[in-house]
Amino acid sequence: MDILSSFYVFGGTLASLLSSPINILILVGASFFGIIFGALPGLTATLGVALLTTLTYGMDVNTALIALLGLYVGAIYGGSYPSILINIPGTAAAAATALDGYPLACKGQGGRALGLTTTASLIGTLMGILVLVMAAPWVAKMALQFTSFEFFLLALFGILISGTLTSSDLVIKGWIAGLIGLAIATIGRDPLQFFPRFTFDLPDLDQGLEVVPVLIGAFGIPQVINALRNKESLGAMQDFGRIMPEWSTLFKNRKNITRSSMIGIGIGAVPGIGEDIAGWVSYGAAKNTSKHPETFGSGEPEGIIASETANNACIGGALIPLLTLGIPGSPPAAMLLGALMLHGITPGPMIVVQDPGFLIEVTAILVLCSVAMWFNGMFLAKQVVKVLSIPAPIFLPVVTLMCVLGSYALGLNVFNLYMMVLIGVVAYFLAQMQYPISPLVIGVILGPMADENLRRALMVSEGSLLPFIERPVSILLLLVIALILISKTPLNQKLKDLFFHSFKRLKSK
Amino acid sequence: MKKAIATLVSSVLITCVCANVTAKDRYPERDITNVVVWSAGGGTDVINRMITSEMSPHLDVNINVTNRPGGVAGSLGMSYVHKLKPDGYTLVGLSESVVASAVQGGWKQRMDVWHPFIVGGSPDLISVSSNSKFNTLEDVINAVKANPKSVKASAGGAGSIHHLNLLALANGTEVEFNYIPYPGSAPAQTAVLTGEVDLVITSLAEQQQLIKGGQLKPLAMLVANAQTLEGVDTIPSAFDSFPQLQKHLPIMQAIGFAIKSDAPDSVKNKLTMAFQKAIASEKLRTWAKDNYYVLSGLSGQSASNEFAFLESLFSWTLQDLGATKISPKALGIPKPADLQMN
Repeated sequence: MDILSSFYVFGGTLASLLSSPINILILVGASFFGIIFGALPGLTATLGVALLTTLTYGMDVNTALIALLGLYVGAIYGGSYPSILINIPGTAAAAATALDGYPLACKGQGGRALGLTTTASLIGTLMGILVLVMAAPWVAKMALQFTSFEFFLLALFGILISGTLTSSDLVIKGWIAGLIGLAIATIGRDPLQFFPRFTFDLPDLDQGLEVVPVLIGAFGIPQVINALRNKESLGAMQDFGRIMPEWSTLFKNRKNITRSSMIGIGIGAVPGIGEDIAGWVSYGAAKNTSKHPETFGSGEPEGIIASETANNACIGGALIPLLTLGIPGSPPAAMLLGALMLHGITPGPMIVVQDPGFLIEVTAILVLCSVAMWFNGMFLAKQVVKVLSIPAPIFLPVVTLMCVLGSYALGLNVFNLYMMVLIGVVAYFLAQMQYPISPLVIGVILGPMADENLRRALMVSEGSLLPFIERPVSILLLLVIALILISKTPLNQKLKDLFFHSFKRLKSK
Repeated sequence: MKKAIATLVSSVLITCVCANVTAKDRYPERDITNVVVWSAGGGTDVINRMITSEMSPHLDVNINVTNRPGGVAGSLGMSYVHKLKPDGYTLVGLSESVVASAVQGGWKQRMDVWHPFIVGGSPDLISVSSNSKFNTLEDVINAVKANPKSVKASAGGAGSIHHLNLLALANGTEVEFNYIPYPGSAPAQTAVLTGEVDLVITSLAEQQQLIKGGQLKPLAMLVANAQTLEGVDTIPSAFDSFPQLQKHLPIMQAIGFAIKSDAPDSVKNKLTMAFQKAIASEKLRTWAKDNYYVLSGLSGQSASNEFAFLESLFSWTLQDLGATKISPKALGIPKPADLQMN
C-alpha cells in the first residue's frame, strides 16, 4: 500500500468515525472513564480494558476499538493525577511522575504540572502512533532480539535505575529497597516448576503477592500516616498555575520529548514489559543528560515531561508487535488482543495481507483517542486540582477508603487488605529511614520477570552463563548496568576527585 | 363435606403434579445464563458465545454469556454454577484445562458433577522456526536420538494441554526433549521466533497466522488427519511416520459447556436437541473451518467419558510434575491406564 492510499484510508476512517454522534459519545466517554480508572489507585489500564471487553461484544469492530483504545490511552494518562496531587501513583506507570510532580504541587504549581503532563501525554501518544505507522516491521524485528537472557537483564536494569534515581541520600539505600522488592516477589509457587516458596502453607500466598495491594500499601499508607502526623493536608494549593500548554517550556524540552518518546516506544515494543518501566528509564535518561541534575526530585518540569511522554509513547510501541506478530507488547495490550479475537480479528503477520487497511484504521482511532484524552484532560485538570483544597479531616478518610477499596476490588480477597496494611506499615518505617519506596514496588513488579527469565535462560543454556556475553543486546544491557553500578560507588567518586585535582594542579603550574 | 375436602385435596395434588410435569416440559421458560470460567476474548469465551447464539433460536429464549474467571483453573466460575439449582437455567462454559482444578486445590469436586457438551477444539501441531535446519518430524526425532536432550522444546506452561501433547510425543517416539516452560502459548511461540527454543507445540488456531506469514514451519499434526492450510503444503499427520503414536495421541482440546449432572432428563434432552442442531448449523461449520477448529458435538455419556479421561490424564501428569496440592488418589481419580470406560 503506498502512502497516498494510506492517507486516503486514514482520512476515510476519521471521517466515517466522526460522522456518527454515537462514536463521538463513546470516544469521549471511554476516554473520560479511562482517566478516572487510571486516577483511582488500584484500578489499572489492564483491568479497565478487561472489564470493557465484555461490553463491546455487541459493537462493530471500529466502535469497539474506539472504546478500548480510548480507555487505554486515558488510563495511562490518568495515573499521573494522584501522583502529582497526593504523591500516590494511580498506576505503576505513573510512579516516576510523582518524583517531580508532587514537589511541584507542593510549591503551588499543581495546575501547571497537570497541564504539562496532559500535553506531554498527547505528544507521546502521537509520536508512538507515528512510529507504529512508519516503522512497525523494523521495530518488531528488533523486539525479537529479546530472549530470556535479555529479559532478565532488562528487569534488573529497571530495578537498579529506579533505585539509583529515587534515593535522597545514599544510592545503596535505593538498591536495598529494590532487593527487598525482589525478595517479596519470590513469595508464591514458582512459575516454572510450581515449587512453593515462603508460602507457609497459606493458600492465599500460593499465587504470590498481587501488585496492586503492594502498590497502594507502599505509596498510600505512608502518605496518610505522614499527613495525620503533621496534621496537614496532602498538598498545598495556593493557585492553579497555568493549565493550557506552555509552548515555550515544551519547545525547550524538544530534545527531552523526542528522547522520551523513543525510549517509550522501544520499551513498549519489547513483549511483556511496558508502561511501568518506560517512565523510569526515560526519567533516568532525562536526569543524567540534564545540565542541572540536582534540581530533579524537587519539582523539575523536565522530569514529569520525560516520564509522562514515555509512558504514553509506550502505547504505540506496544501495539507494534501486537499488530505485526500477534504478540502483545504490554499487559494492557494483551487484554486488547483478547478483545480483538472476540471480534473475529486475529492480529499477526497475515493481517497486512488479509486486511491492509486495518493498521491505518487503528492509527486513525488512536489519533482520535489521544485528542479526546487531551480535551478531557484539559477539562478535568482544572477540577481535579481543587481536590487539594478539601480540608484534611475530610480528604484523608476518603483517600484511605479509596486505598482499601482499590486493594479489595481486584480479587475481592480480604487477604489483600491485610497485605496492603502490612506492606504500608513496613514502607512507612522504611521511608522514615530515608529508604525510597518506588524501587521496592518496581522490585515486586519486575521480580517475577527477573526470576522466571534468569532460571529459564539457565535451563536453555544448560547452566552456562556464557550467552550473557555472547548476545549483542545482552552485552549492551550488561555494560549499561555495570556503568550504573560503577558510577555510583564511592571509589568512582574518589577517582574522579583525584583526576580533577591533578588536572587542576597541572593547570596551575 | 368429607367428600368435598377429599376432592379439593386430590385436585390440588393433581394440579401440583401436572404443573410440575408441565414446568419441566416447558423448559426453558426464561432466559438461560452461560457462565464462562475464562475471560472474555479467549477461545472458550468465543466458542461459547458462538454455540449459544446458534442454540437459542431452537430453545426460543436468549442465552446470555457472562464471564467469571479466576480462582484455580476456572474454579470460581465452576463453584458458582455448582452451588445453584440444577434447573438448567445456568450453564457453565468450560474447557479441558478445568479438569486440573481439583488436584490444584481450586475446588473439591470431580468432573462427574457435570453433564458436558463438547463443541470441539483446535488440534495441536509441532512446528519449528522457518529458518530451522529441521524439515520433517523424523529429522527432529533422529537429532534427539543421536544426541539426547539436545533439542529444546516449548509447549505453553507446564501441565498445559500442549505440554501433555509434548510428553505423549516423547513417550511414543521414545526420546527426551529439553522442555522449557513458558507462561502461555503466545510466549512459547515467540521463543521459537527468537531462536531461544527449537520447536513448539501449540494449537493450529494459535499458530495459523505465524505459519501463513512464513514465520513458522509446520512439521506434523499431532492428530490422525493431515491438515491443509492455504498457501502452505499439506501438513502430514505424525501418525504416518510414527504409527506407535496412536497409543498416546490424540489429546485434543475439549471446549464447550456443561450443566449439573443431577439436572432433570427432560432438561438434558432439550439442551442436547438444541446443541446438535447448533453443531450442524452452517454458521458454526464455516466458523470452525475458518478458525481451524475441529467440531466434536459429543454430549451425554461419551462427553463425560472424554472429560473423565482428560481429568485422569491431567491430574496424574501434574502429580508426576509435583504440581498438585491434593493427590489424585485422595480425590479418587483413577490412573489413565486403570480408567473404566462405561
